[in-house]
Amino acid sequence: MTTTPYLKPLPAISQENEPFWEGLKRHEFLVPKCADCGSWNWVPYPACRNCLSENQEWTKVSGDATIYTYTIITRGHGQFNDEAPYALVVAQLAESPLDCLVIGNTRGIPNEELEIGKPVKIVFEDIPDEDVTLWRFGPA
Amino acid sequence: MPFPQRQAAIAGIYLTPQGKLPDRTSFSLQLEAIKGALADAGLTIDDVDALLPMSMSNHIGPQSGATDAHQFWAEQLHRKPIMLMEIGGAAGQLAKASAAIAAGMCEVAVLFYGKAGRPVGPRGTVTADKAPRIPEWNSAIHGGYTIPYYALWAQRYLKDFGYTSADLAEHSVVDRYHATLNPESVMGVKGEITVDDVLNSRMIADPLHLLECSLDTDGGYAVVLTTAERARDAKKKPVYVLGGAEAVYTDFYITIDSDWWSPARNPMRAAADKAFSLAQVSRDDIDVFGSFDCFSITGMRTFEELGFSEVGEGPAFVKEGHTRLGGKLPTNTDGGLLSNSHPGDPSGLMVVEVVKQLRGEAEGRQVENARIGLAHQQGWSVHAISSSLILGVD
Repeated sequence: MTTTPYLKPLPAISQENEPFWEGLKRHEFLVPKCADCGSWNWVPYPACRNCLSENQEWTKVSGDATIYTYTIITRGHGQFNDEAPYALVVAQLAESPLDCLVIGNTRGIPNEELEIGKPVKIVFEDIPDEDVTLWRFGPA
Repeated sequence: MPFPQRQAAIAGIYLTPQGKLPDRTSFSLQLEAIKGALADAGLTIDDVDALLPMSMSNHIGPQSGATDAHQFWAEQLHRKPIMLMEIGGAAGQLAKASAAIAAGMCEVAVLFYGKAGRPVGPRGTVTADKAPRIPEWNSAIHGGYTIPYYALWAQRYLKDFGYTSADLAEHSVVDRYHATLNPESVMGVKGEITVDDVLNSRMIADPLHLLECSLDTDGGYAVVLTTAERARDAKKKPVYVLGGAEAVYTDFYITIDSDWWSPARNPMRAAADKAFSLAQVSRDDIDVFGSFDCFSITGMRTFEELGFSEVGEGPAFVKEGHTRLGGKLPTNTDGGLLSNSHPGDPSGLMVVEVVKQLRGEAEGRQVENARIGLAHQQGWSVHAISSSLILGVD
C-alpha cells in the first residue's frame, strides 16, 4: 500500500550497520550473532549484550517469528495517517538465546486476523526511488 | 572529613500556565518558571549556584547561536560560575541534586522546564517533500510513535491478565475527577467522565483511546532545591528530600526487552526500592503519590511496578478506590498527565503537586494530614528511565 512519492521516514544508514541494510536489499534479514557465546543481538549493538564480546557476525535469520504483541493504529504521523488503520507488530524471531523482538508493519495479513502468538514470516519491500529495502511481517 | 552530609529540601515551586499557549515561547516559560520558583522560595538568581535544565527543553533561542543548553543558561542568568546537571527525569535529577547538596557541591539548585510551540504528538508532524532520514532503528520508520509503543504494551497486558479496555479506563476517570478539583488543570473545566466516555472516545492505537492518552500541551515549571537549613529560612514550609533514586534500562524507543511484567530487572522497581530504602519509609507511609501516568496502561502498571499492588492487579487496585482522594494512596491529585497537563517533559509536575500537598496548599483537593509523598517519573520508551523521590514535612 505504498503511495508515491514515499514521504515516510527512512533509515539514516551508518557505517556500522550498513551490512544489515545491504542484506535487506538482497532480501536477507541479518542479525549480529556473537561468535563467542552464540547470542543473537537485536537491535544491533556494538558488543554482545550477553558476554560483551565485540566479536559479532552478521548472520542471516530464518525469518520465522511469532507475534509478541501488536496494535492497529488509527492516528498516525504524516503520510502514515493516510494509510490508517495500519498495523504495527512486535514479532519475536525464532532465533535464541536472547529474545529478538523486532518491530515492523504487516503485509498480506488482514488487521482483524492479528493475534498474539500468531506465526508470521519476515518479508521484504523495496522502497521505490530510494536505495532502501524495509522488512515487513507477512503470513507464515 | 571529605564531603559534608547535609539534608536537602525543596524551598520553592512554580507552575506556569498550562495548555495551548500560542503567544509564548519555550524560553519565556522557562524564565518565568525560574523567576517564579525563586520568588516562591524568597531567593534571587544571585543565590543560585546549580541548574538542572530538563532534557527535551528547547533551551536554545535561535538568536543565541549557542549549542549547549547549560552554557546558554549560565550566560543568560548571571555570568558567574555555576554547576550544571542534566540527569534524566525530574525525580531523578532532584535526587541526584540532593546528593550534590549533601556533599557540599552546591547550595541552591533550580530545576526548570518549559515548552511552547510545536506539539509532540501527531498534530506536530512536519510535512516533508522528501522521505526524511532518521536513526535507523527508530520505529517511526514503521509508523510507530509514543502512543503505539504503549499500545503494544497494553495489548499484551490485556491478553496476559484477562482485562479489557474498560478496566484500564478507570484510571482516566480518576484523573479527570481530580482535575475537576484543580482550577489550574487543563481538562477540569470539562467536568467528570465515565468509563463509557473513555471507551467512546476515538481509538488512537488499539487498545488505547484518546482519553487514555496524555494531553499534548504547552507549559513549564521550576523547583528550587537547597539545604534544609536554608529552606527553613525561606518563605514557605520546607519540604525535605527523604530519599530518591533513578534507574535506566533499554534504549530510547528502540529496544524492546522481555519479560514485561516481572519486577526483576525492572527499573521502576529498582529505583523505587532504592528510594524507599534511603528514605527509611515504607509503601504504607506514602500519603500522596505523583505518578507519571502518561497513559491508562502506564498508570495501572505503575502501581504494580513500584510495589503498591501485585503484578497484574493494578486495575483492581484502582477499581477499589485506593487512588482517589480519600483513598489510601491518593494519586495525581492535580489530574495527572491525562487531565492536568503534559508539556513535553512533564516529570516536574509530579514534584510540584506533591510539594503543594505536603505544604497544605492544595485547597479543594488537599489530602488531609499529608506528611510523606512520592513523586515518580518514568518514560523514554516503556519505562526505560525511571526515578522516585520521597518527600516529607515535619
